[in-house]
Amino acid sequence: MNLGVRAVATPRTDDESFEALFRTEYGRVAGIANRVLMDQHEAEDVAQEVFVDFHRLHSASAQYAPAWLHRAAAHTALNRLRGSRRRQKRELAQAAEESDRAVDPQKLFEASEDRRQVREALARLAPKPAAVLVLRASGLSYAEVAQALGVGIGQVGTLLRRAEASLRKEVTRGTSI
Amino acid sequence: MVDDPDAHGGADKRHLETCAECQARYGTVSKDALAISSLMAAPELKLDVTSAFNRVRSAPAARPRFGFRIPVMRPRSRPVVLGFATAVAAVALLVTAIAEGGNTFTPQTLTPVPVTMADMEALSQLSAYGTVSWTKQPQPQIATSAEEAHTISGLPVPKVANLPAGVSSTVTYAAMGQATAVFTFSTAKATAAAAQAGKTLPALPAGIEGAQLTVTVGPAVAEIYGNINKPAAGSDITQAALPQLIVGETSAPVATSSQVTVVQFEKYLLSQPGISPELKAAINAIGDPSTTLPIPIPVQFATSSKVTIQGVQGLALGDNTGVGAGVIWIKHGVVYGVVGTIKRDDAVNIANQLS
Repeated sequence: MNLGVRAVATPRTDDESFEALFRTEYGRVAGIANRVLMDQHEAEDVAQEVFVDFHRLHSASAQYAPAWLHRAAAHTALNRLRGSRRRQKRELAQAAEESDRAVDPQKLFEASEDRRQVREALARLAPKPAAVLVLRASGLSYAEVAQALGVGIGQVGTLLRRAEASLRKEVTRGTSI
Repeated sequence: MVDDPDAHGGADKRHLETCAECQARYGTVSKDALAISSLMAAPELKLDVTSAFNRVRSAPAARPRFGFRIPVMRPRSRPVVLGFATAVAAVALLVTAIAEGGNTFTPQTLTPVPVTMADMEALSQLSAYGTVSWTKQPQPQIATSAEEAHTISGLPVPKVANLPAGVSSTVTYAAMGQATAVFTFSTAKATAAAAQAGKTLPALPAGIEGAQLTVTVGPAVAEIYGNINKPAAGSDITQAALPQLIVGETSAPVATSSQVTVVQFEKYLLSQPGISPELKAAINAIGDPSTTLPIPIPVQFATSSKVTIQGVQGLALGDNTGVGAGVIWIKHGVVYGVVGTIKRDDAVNIANQLS
């Protein structure tokens, strides 16, 4: 029983497959994270985390690789968004207390008001509707969204419509408060 | 229909042209979709993929070698796994080291030992009769290549000649080094555990207080075909896909004892309330326990039969329906297994061609 080339043909080593997968999917994975976080540095950080996590446990030639990466990118970025929302609230509370040394308002509001509201609303949505919106807005086809979320392709349209309605409601709620 | 090109056409489109209610709904949905697409707009990223790849490659965890657990071995499942492992180890222990004071067990044949759920529960309760500690923790790891699995386990990695139709060629390697568990018997704990369960403790052999049983398992290596899909962050673990085929090998377990003989311990195990007469009969029927490795098989899951694999006798489990089957055999002190959602004949073929 020797080690050596496995009898089951694999066209390249796992390292080569991983590099090919990375080059094909990195832009999309970072794009999904950016759609949520609106911050290139944070989005690339999420993409790196997702690829490292994938490489730990999966074969890069696995058929499910792109779907796994897309889904992980959406969930990881949304988790960060929820975390940063909490962090932002804390920072604002602290800033109010230290009124003489308040956070630079220019920096705090450099993102446009619309974008801030939609990110806040997105963070309040349930994970699945939030993920469906992010993935679709990132240019994934219905089939790709279905694969990433593990749902039937026929369900994507309905999920998307409900998610859009929920997000609109959340945005409206956010502006009326 | 708003943005799905596949839905543009056919009966749906014709219906929309004539239904006022649907037109109104379509209008609302379109407005939502338009508003969301503008709200979700994000600036283009300027990415340097090569630098990003270098960063990922140089990240310490990017090329994992040690310390990663198989996804199913989550920390919260450890108590369950420990209970189950104790039960399996206890069944194996029943006959693996009967020579008094000796540990020269070199199994050459296998025998199926049918176990029931009640047996497993009764045996796993033994972990409440004393303290189980691992002097060497079992650390199943995912390896990125056959070479790495070999480095971790020290075992040669089996090569599958031909995969049955329908089995994915996506392969993941898993490996673990040797692990050793020491069970120290405590009369006080055993009495308390029995009282809590409302059962009478079987008569204790003399000198059992503080007696230690040492069970060594592994090393082991496995090739897992198909997806072992770890769910994405934040999703449900139950969405993990099960592999289609596992080919594995491990050194036979070795058990030794102090203060009481393993024979005494075996008798004590068999006297536990909840042990089925079938298990007792199966254990007692083993002809030469010093060379026979018992394989616990849940009675309701498997029909076993003897088969010849690579010139030695092995056990085939399951049937030809493809629901699930496996083959286990032992050669030169190493236990091999081929198991999966395949037909029994396919499992036998893979086993015979394994090199």
